Amino acid sequence: NERKCRVWRCEDEVGGVEMTESGAQLFARLEARRCLKDIEPALFPADGGPEHGEVVELHGTEGTGKTELLYHLLCRCVMPAAAGGLEVEVVFVDTDYSLDMMRLVSVLDSRLNAGTHRPAPSVLRSCLARLLVVHCSSCSQLLLTLHFLETSLSSRPSLALLLIDSISAFYWLDRCEGGASVTKQEEKLSKCADLLDSLRRDYRITVFATCHAIRRNYSGQSSSSSSEFDRPYLCRSWQRLVNHRLLCSREEGTSNMATAAEGSEEQRRRQVFTVHCTSSFSSKTKSHRSSSFYVTDGGVKLI
Amino acid sequence: MVVLREGMCPGLDADLVRDLRAADVKTVEDLVSSDTEDLAQKCSVSYRALFAIRRVLLAQHTAFPVSGADLYEELLSSTAILSTGNSSLDKLLDSGLYTGEITELSGGPGSGKSQVCFGVAVNISYHLKQSVIFIDTTGGLTARRLLQMLEAETSNREEQMEALQRIHIFRLFDVFSLLDCLYSLRTGMLQQASVGGGSVKAVIVDSVSAVIAPLLGGKQSEGMSLMTQVAGVLKTMAKDFNVAVLVTNHVTRSSSRVQPGLGVSWRHVPRTRILLERVEKAAAVSRSSMRSATLIKSSRQLCHKTEEFDLQRWCHSEGPSAKRKLEDMDS
Repeated sequence: NERKCRVWRCEDEVGGVEMTESGAQLFARLEARRCLKDIEPALFPADGGPEHGEVVELHGTEGTGKTELLYHLLCRCVMPAAAGGLEVEVVFVDTDYSLDMMRLVSVLDSRLNAGTHRPAPSVLRSCLARLLVVHCSSCSQLLLTLHFLETSLSSRPSLALLLIDSISAFYWLDRCEGGASVTKQEEKLSKCADLLDSLRRDYRITVFATCHAIRRNYSGQSSSSSSEFDRPYLCRSWQRLVNHRLLCSREEGTSNMATAAEGSEEQRRRQVFTVHCTSSFSSKTKSHRSSSFYVTDGGVKLI
Repeated sequence: MVVLREGMCPGLDADLVRDLRAADVKTVEDLVSSDTEDLAQKCSVSYRALFAIRRVLLAQHTAFPVSGADLYEELLSSTAILSTGNSSLDKLLDSGLYTGEITELSGGPGSGKSQVCFGVAVNISYHLKQSVIFIDTTGGLTARRLLQMLEAETSNREEQMEALQRIHIFRLFDVFSLLDCLYSLRTGMLQQASVGGGSVKAVIVDSVSAVIAPLLGGKQSEGMSLMTQVAGVLKTMAKDFNVAVLVTNHVTRSSSRVQPGLGVSWRHVPRTRILLERVEKAAAVSRSSMRSATLIKSSRQLCHKTEEFDLQRWCHSEGPSAKRKLEDMDS
């Protein structure tokens, strides 16, 4: 793959302007990227994990385990193959300024120590070195950053996952800035979605994004609290992009604020969260999978 | 959104800006997202020049990726934990307020939110010798109360005055002045405030809901947008300047469940949330200064842990008998 072959694409109207790509770049772009199909088989429908270039959305209100689930998946990606990880690089786009590095490290640490041998401290460092963090403070900056990341994507074949936490962070800002026209309100996110679409197609990168459930369903009749917020509300171009939708919810009854004091210690420890996955395939079929997990000091434990 | 102006980067002169504008490319985002070959032809500039401009503009306005390993190392060396001065709260918060994060106190009227804020401010300025920014949006802060709390700590007048000097108070009563204040703090007043001894380690907003709640409701999105802006500036301030942010919020009750106010969009803003409640006892309900604190959101500790404490005895005068675990009492 180090052959110095070059791919030339001549634009005859411009006359002599060449777009070049080295063979190594082409190879990185098309072949070497690892597939994340087996990132967490228990979450996705049988044999239906995220393929190359697929988009997964994690949707749920606060306190439904989205962040923990995200860290769980992130750890699986950056951990070395010897410890049961996928050993790929991850870009974490933090639009909420909510990345809790301490928590991530403690989850990572406990999973690395779960094996029989105690790994060297340098292993943790090398895991963290596989993670790239970008903070974005506006939708325009997100768009520019995604453009900028294109160069990283083309030069690093081991970069396999793009995480966006969260894609809904600028929703209200854009709604207000866009004035009365809905197209104007959704313009920026649509542009980001279109760009993501071309990135995942050209570089076959898998995208995971969280989406805070912040809008009620104005369906008229008041439904139960868990299904009250599950309707997608982001722009159409984003909705079209999503292949797998993971809807997180908290299992009611075990704990809420008012009855918290009465539950036994065991019950509180075992606050169970459920994830409902809906995968859509190109053949217009859909399949579902429900799974549950609880959270311990060492991260997510699937049941 | 960044509008293209001449001189933003080498090669971007007035003529080119005009040509780009004619081609409906007005902002950096437009330039970056449009097809460079196509645009070079439309504006009759060389592809190479336009490509260079695109690259420079992108580098100027993008957010740069940082390696997770570096971020972790930086965090380890810069994170501080500020004790609140109250051992019950410290226990819930895993030894205190963490810098770089937003901690929220939720509670109904009279649940002791403001008193806890005063106590935290006094403890940080007197015991930890650090500056505190106190943003008061309810008019509930009085110097007399702060002094009273300091008098409980020390009888030395000079030390009291020194501690008061380290608490910088801003009084404002609407969201625009709050944003104004936070933006100016972010662009340099934080450093200025620290001139009077000790760096600014904490920003307290009591209460954030008093200025935001009146804007919410209905189907208009302006209030939500302002709330997102307040959340954004607080979060970036906490991260970039490494300060602990403490905010207070009201509570709402829906179907007999107590929930923090400001709706679901605010819900995920604070990293840690404590619910303050009066301890209901049969006698002398209105007089009691006993409060219970419940941890309802945390990434470090098990949630729904409850501690009781006495508001009147904030700092060191508090004996171990004054607090006890609610669980012990129940069992």
